[in-house]
Amino acid sequence: MSQMLLEVDSLDKRFGGLHAVKQVSLAVAKGEIVGILGPNGAGKTTLFNLLTQFITPDAGHIVFKGHSLRGLKPQKVVALGVARTFQLCRPFAGLSVLENVLVGSFGPRVHHPDLVERAMHLLEQVGLESKAEVAAELLSYGDQRRLEIARALATDPELLLLDEPFAGLGSAEIEAISALITQLHTEKKLTILLIEHKLREFMQLVSRVVVLDFGEQIAEGTPQQVVENPRVIEAYIGKQGVTL
Amino acid sequence: MEILIHGAVSSAIYAMLAVGFTLIFGVARVLNLAHGSFYALGAYGTYMATALLGWSLLPAALMAIVQVALLGVVIEKIFIRPLRHSQLGVLMITLAISLVIEQALFLIFGSEYRNVPAFIQSKVSIGGIDIAGQRLLVVAVAVLAIGALYLFIQWSRLGSAILAISQDAEAAKYMGIPSDRIFALVMAISAGLAALAGVLAGPFLSVQPTMHLLPIMKAFAIVIVGGLGSIPGSIVAAMMLGYAETIVAYTISTSWTEIVSVLATLLMLVFRPAGIFGKRAAF
Amino acid sequence: MRGLHQLDRSSAVAGTAALGILAIVPVIFPGNYLMGVLTVAAIYGIWAVSWDFMCGLTGRENFGHALFIGVGAYAAGYMNVQIGWGPWWSLPIGMLLSALFALLLGFPTLRLRGPYFALAMLSAAVIMQRLMLIFWEHTGGEEGIQDITPLIRNHLHYYWFVLVLLGVITFVLSWLARSRWGLILRAIRGDEATCLAAGIPITRYKIISLVISAALAALGGALYAHYQLQVSPQLFSIVTSITIITMVYVGGMGSIYGPVGGALLLTLLAEGLRDVGEWRLMVYSVLLIMIVFFLPNGFIAPLWQKLRATLRGR
Repeated sequence: MSQMLLEVDSLDKRFGGLHAVKQVSLAVAKGEIVGILGPNGAGKTTLFNLLTQFITPDAGHIVFKGHSLRGLKPQKVVALGVARTFQLCRPFAGLSVLENVLVGSFGPRVHHPDLVERAMHLLEQVGLESKAEVAAELLSYGDQRRLEIARALATDPELLLLDEPFAGLGSAEIEAISALITQLHTEKKLTILLIEHKLREFMQLVSRVVVLDFGEQIAEGTPQQVVENPRVIEAYIGKQGVTL
Repeated sequence: MEILIHGAVSSAIYAMLAVGFTLIFGVARVLNLAHGSFYALGAYGTYMATALLGWSLLPAALMAIVQVALLGVVIEKIFIRPLRHSQLGVLMITLAISLVIEQALFLIFGSEYRNVPAFIQSKVSIGGIDIAGQRLLVVAVAVLAIGALYLFIQWSRLGSAILAISQDAEAAKYMGIPSDRIFALVMAISAGLAALAGVLAGPFLSVQPTMHLLPIMKAFAIVIVGGLGSIPGSIVAAMMLGYAETIVAYTISTSWTEIVSVLATLLMLVFRPAGIFGKRAAF
Repeated sequence: MRGLHQLDRSSAVAGTAALGILAIVPVIFPGNYLMGVLTVAAIYGIWAVSWDFMCGLTGRENFGHALFIGVGAYAAGYMNVQIGWGPWWSLPIGMLLSALFALLLGFPTLRLRGPYFALAMLSAAVIMQRLMLIFWEHTGGEEGIQDITPLIRNHLHYYWFVLVLLGVITFVLSWLARSRWGLILRAIRGDEATCLAAGIPITRYKIISLVISAALAALGGALYAHYQLQVSPQLFSIVTSITIITMVYVGGMGSIYGPVGGALLLTLLAEGLRDVGEWRLMVYSVLLIMIVFFLPNGFIAPLWQKLRATLRGR
């Protein structure tokens, strides 16, 4: 099982009376794109927070490339090669787009003689190079998403955690970001873990899906298998009738 | 026994100060560093009316309180409201205003201690100890005032509006609650309470231009300990501070009493920024 | 401005020129009074720059900067008068002591947001002030410590010494502010969680910046003690902290060099108002109110930026 980049075993977290994540286990192999699916409130973002140690788990193991992530500070997790984006874009206000990306390049994984050039290159890849000097908070939402991705990439990750990258975007933008993710996956050989609650968008993107509902894993399989799984359908229809 | 009574008196004054301070914060998210100035102006206003204009005590005190309340409304409208987006801006402005008021008082009245007459001149004997009647009056008035405020907030329509705004200002606006007017009202209550404290405490505390500093630091300490925005928290913390200081004054020495409040602030901020009853931690 | 860069040349040249002018002024217009004012202005400049580096960049305003100043000043006084060591020892000892305070206070308080941090530091300064009064046998109580030996007896040479220190500090901190360090501090101001997600050890940067700020403030404090030849608890007061903050606001928060101009301007203003005596605090407070309202970006730094842009445009 040494091909598994990330192994999560029985991860558990409670917030007072709320059992947010219940014994979740999953494994991600190198080079995979795995989707985490579930209705709102299923615990998906909490899972990401636990993986990146923004929150400490109550129980369970997280092993990345053979290192246990538990007890590490978030910046150490990044230093090991795990990067994440946030559901609500949070660019550094007061800094330009270029500066935003630069901030991500100061970690120990980056050894490049010219950080500015590298940052510009990353901006090109996400399509923001023409806006390098613009103040980050003035960008459109879609562009802010691209910036989030560029900044996460700047840390030179092996595993990229994308939290609802399509949230708040129109369908044209969604296609564009989806294409971007595919491109980055192939070109940079990234392993990607992706949260979304709109299945349609990521049907084509991911090779495997884990479904959460109320913090529990209720299904796992290919996108096709998951869509036909009666428990999954019940979880969705029972909530807000989000179209699959 | 003495400690019991003196502690109660201190607690009463602190409670009046703290409740006003926490009220304006809970409702408008304003940390008003000029709050101590309202206290000072209450005392000075009464002094001016009685000593210089020859009024009798009650009307003088009432007028002073009303004037300070109005001043609070004016300050809120002109200086604080435009800066609502920047908490630090509000801090700096209110601090600057408090210094301006301090200087103005100094220039007008000079730095000697002034005399505010007491409502009750006689002494009362409780449990074998002579206590100035004025001190007991302080406790009585404080209980009445805060009690009235509490009832007002719990039972009246305006009170509900105030509670609504303190929970979610945006939502309250959408429901048609005139938040600007409510802010003004709350500020008036807050300033008025502080002035009331100043009027009552004036007779036995020193009335001089820098008298606003300690009360604001203590009010701040109390509110932090009790939890910003929580009226019950302020009352409890006010009693804690009032008694802690009195005990320290009697057992150690008076020069250490000032440190109690500031130290409490620092320690609370460090260990439990939400305070005892507070819901929001250091945001 | 493109990415990381060192101090741009025109600013560096202008800064050196300004320092040169300041150095020559008391030679052209001799007189102890002017030199005294300029010396104090330069020391305030050190204080303002040290504040700006930490607070202007991270946006966490420290209302208790006077604490670090006082520690440096009292260390100077105490070491010199009570213990009897030579005056030059004050500088490193004051800085070390202050750095220690910054470490102790920084860890618990730097995780607090905006107003809480400001007020926690203010509380610390007030406590120190009280302690100076309580332990009056060691610290001289209300009157403080007197008869401190000057570092350099020649007033002009001392002035140049302070000016050189100011120049070095301003240049180094300006350079740091425009390098990776400054970028990280500004990012911390923007969003701390995102910084963590970008792999930045934010606590380390915040603490080290506070320590630097504190050490330099103490340096200024020690220089002040050896100039005034006495220290008193007033140094810890909120008035000192507010004055410095006003200077930074006037100069332009975050610019590092702006506050030097702010310090100069406001010290001269204070002297000009000396005849008005008690009105001084009033004027400062009113000035602060107006600046917070109308010129939150200050005017010295924006002025210089405009000047540079116009000159470039030619």
